[in-house]
Amino acid sequence: MDTLGRRFGIRHDPLPNFQRGRFPLAGVVVALAFFVTTGLLAQQPKPSEYEVKATYLYNFGRFVKWPDTVPARKGDSFPVCVLGRDPFGPILDSTLAGEAVDGKPVELRRISKKQDGGECRILFISSAEEKNLKEILTALDESGVLTVSDMPGFTRRGGMIQFVLEGDRVRFEINLASAENARLVLSSELLKVAASVKRSGRSGD
Amino acid sequence: MSARQDNSISRKLTWMNMLVSGAALLLACAAFIAYDMLSFRASIVRNLSTQAQIIGSNSVSALVFNDQQSAENTLSALKAAHNIMSAGVYSKDGKLFSWYSRDPGGHVPEIPSLPSGQLQIHWFRNKEVVLVRAIVFEGKPTGTVYIQSDLEELDSRLQRYVAIAAIVLSVCLLAALLVSALFRRAVAQPIIQLAEVARAVSREKNYSVRAVRTRGSGELTILIEAFNEMLAQIQENEKSLREARDDLEQRVKERTAELEKAKKEVEDFSFSILRAKEELERGSKFKDQFLSTMSHELRTPLNAVLGFSELLTEERYGTLNERQQRYVKHIHTGGNHLLTLINDILDLSKIEAGRLQLRFENVSVAASFAEVIDTMRPLADKKSQTLLQQAPPDLSVRADPTRFKQVLMNLIGNAIKFTPEGGEIRLTASQVDQAVRLEVRDSGPGIPVKEQQRIFEAFYRLGETDKKTEGTGLGLAITRRLVELHGGSLGLESQPGSGSSFYFTVPCAEVVATRKVPVSRKEMQAADFARILVIEDDRAAALLLQSYLTSAGYDVVLCDQPGGALEMAAELQPNAVTMDIIMKPINGWELLSTFKTDSRTAGIPVVLVTIIDQPATGASLGADEYIVKPVKKATLLGAIERCLNQRTHIGQRRPILVVEDDAPTREFVAELLSKHGYDVITAADGAEARSRVATSLPELVILDLILPEISGFQLLAEWRTNSRTADLPVFVLTSKDMTPQEQAYIRTHTGMLLHKQQPWQETLIAQLRRTLPGVLSEKS
Repeated sequence: MDTLGRRFGIRHDPLPNFQRGRFPLAGVVVALAFFVTTGLLAQQPKPSEYEVKATYLYNFGRFVKWPDTVPARKGDSFPVCVLGRDPFGPILDSTLAGEAVDGKPVELRRISKKQDGGECRILFISSAEEKNLKEILTALDESGVLTVSDMPGFTRRGGMIQFVLEGDRVRFEINLASAENARLVLSSELLKVAASVKRSGRSGD
Repeated sequence: MSARQDNSISRKLTWMNMLVSGAALLLACAAFIAYDMLSFRASIVRNLSTQAQIIGSNSVSALVFNDQQSAENTLSALKAAHNIMSAGVYSKDGKLFSWYSRDPGGHVPEIPSLPSGQLQIHWFRNKEVVLVRAIVFEGKPTGTVYIQSDLEELDSRLQRYVAIAAIVLSVCLLAALLVSALFRRAVAQPIIQLAEVARAVSREKNYSVRAVRTRGSGELTILIEAFNEMLAQIQENEKSLREARDDLEQRVKERTAELEKAKKEVEDFSFSILRAKEELERGSKFKDQFLSTMSHELRTPLNAVLGFSELLTEERYGTLNERQQRYVKHIHTGGNHLLTLINDILDLSKIEAGRLQLRFENVSVAASFAEVIDTMRPLADKKSQTLLQQAPPDLSVRADPTRFKQVLMNLIGNAIKFTPEGGEIRLTASQVDQAVRLEVRDSGPGIPVKEQQRIFEAFYRLGETDKKTEGTGLGLAITRRLVELHGGSLGLESQPGSGSSFYFTVPCAEVVATRKVPVSRKEMQAADFARILVIEDDRAAALLLQSYLTSAGYDVVLCDQPGGALEMAAELQPNAVTMDIIMKPINGWELLSTFKTDSRTAGIPVVLVTIIDQPATGASLGADEYIVKPVKKATLLGAIERCLNQRTHIGQRRPILVVEDDAPTREFVAELLSKHGYDVITAADGAEARSRVATSLPELVILDLILPEISGFQLLAEWRTNSRTADLPVFVLTSKDMTPQEQAYIRTHTGMLLHKQQPWQETLIAQLRRTLPGVLSEKS
């Protein structure tokens, strides 16, 4: 009832001049359209944990600046890779479909060999690869790949971005030293919204 | 007064200055402030847009990674901007993501969706401005910023401006005041001085003062110089005027004296005119009175002379020998002539005095001709003259019937008089446009040209030396006046030796429909006076008979189809029938025998009116009366009356009261009435009449108006107000010349008005028959 009242309230709020008077119906139409869209969205189920993680995964790319020395990739795409057993399933495909970062279409690759990881811009490392982590990170050293994972202690062990859960909410931690080692520049905007940021090997908030 | 006028011009100048500079300044300030306000508003929007952009780009990551805390941190930076009332970041699906409000308790608005292709919209509303801007990240809409700012800065700026403008304005007006003070010294002061001098001149009539001249040579100096010059001229003029006035006064005094004298003369003269006029009026009044008296005093004895001489010739009271018979006839003829003369003189006097009033109605020319010819025929017969007439049957004129006939009779009488024995007189009528031209032509000796103009003059008689003809010499004069009163003119064409023709015109009347035979038996029975059926196939003859009978009070029905006459008579049951002999297809003899053999009509009396002189045949076939044409009115009426009296058996009724102060007239009227079978009582004056009516109500009253002591008018008024006598029939018989008012009164309150100066006996009897159909006594 309260939201309904507010929705109707918009009709009583004075509208912008171009909407009022010249298009008296326009206000009503806008209000109705708004009502319908918000209504539909409100009925959608809350996105699952991996859905959120999939969205975050490629969006990291938008707040990271890669060094100019990283060679141009094949087909001029923006490869996002998943190493090891894939925890996302088809959600990842649908989330990434049609997205673009820095004007390049996002390309999803599922890989199993750590040697293939050098071709990626963003690499999600499955928790199943925990025992091989050291070798993987070493192999990728200085190759300009943003490493992401949800395995515990990822950032502590040299990973760059680690998903953490605060209750229902998906957040992430950043190891800025690892990123700087790989000559990646992370936007202050990204650091601002991180749950915590480790600088120079020390953990800190 | 002086101070107010002093101030008038300088105050106007001051006001003008102030108003002009004030208005200019106000307009300039208003324009400047308006412009500044507009541009300031635009800059406010610009600033707000910038702030929205900063908030948007700082909130992108918070939006993307769903970090509300971060967004709230960004928004809280707005605390530094005091003008921002509230701001919000909305996710791309329109949900509120984070909110900032300067004052606690503000409500969170829904965000309107932006029109496609537009990044930002803003609007002003009551003392605030709202701006909504889309957040675009990497070319994709990521959310929306809402920002609301108050306009206090705008308001305070406006207040500042108004204050400044007020200060500038008052300073400027003060300056204008100072400037106008300077003007006043330069412009107003000389004008005020000039006005002062002018007022002094007009108030004191002192033309020797002069206005003070000012320095310089502007229009003002010219004005003052011209004014002084004018004063000098006026001074000079006034001097000469005074001299002229002194001279004039003297002359006016002289003239006034002269005028006084002239006025007195005029007054004396007009007084004498007034007296002359009064005398004239009195004379005219005497003349009227004399005429009225004459008409009464002359006619009353003459009526007696004529009435009794006529009664004597009827030998009702013993036979007369031949000599007596002749003498009585002389008395009657002489009396008649005298009556004509008196009537003519009185008529002429009345016409000359403009007192003759005509009663216009539609008059049938043919009927009038028939009546006139019938009257004049005995005169023509005496001189063996042929009297011919010709008139279209449907022709009618608009005329007074009596006067119209008088004109015709006068002209025919003249023609008979001046035409030798065996001559011919022709009477014709013809329609000319909207008038009828009537002509009387004779075969007499004609009238000499030199006399033709004079014969219309009063008392002029043709051939004065020739004593063969008798006459008053008034006939033509009266005739001409009568024709003129009818709106026509009388003319004459004559050549000595070949006869004369008098002609005149009278306005035409509408064609009067001829009377048709009524078909309703009921309607016929409703009539309560005697009905006569006239069977005559000659139209002119029928009309003549009709006019005689109608004038005597009978109801006349014409029948011009002898074939249908029997059926018509059987249906109508008339009291009498007149019948012609020479008719087609059935002649009178046959018709008479069918009448007398048919049981329905055998009882109806029949009067044969014909030119065939065979009374014996008529009597043998059962005719009651036999009249040989030409028909005389008296003969016809006598015959009809005899027929009707055979059948009237009415018992004695109440008598008729005759009120008349003149003994001979009273006796004559009584005699006339008893001759026609009515019982009569008489009264010699008003008092007697009053007591007679009081003791026993008469059947009808014949009343003279001029009575000693109690007049006829008085009696009439008394009777009409009394319910017992309100319906008593009254006939007025008088020789009084009455005013139209008197006539109208008499017509409303009586059954009949008879003038003694006109033949009245027959009319009286006819009217009596209509009014008292059953009062005839048996003794006649």
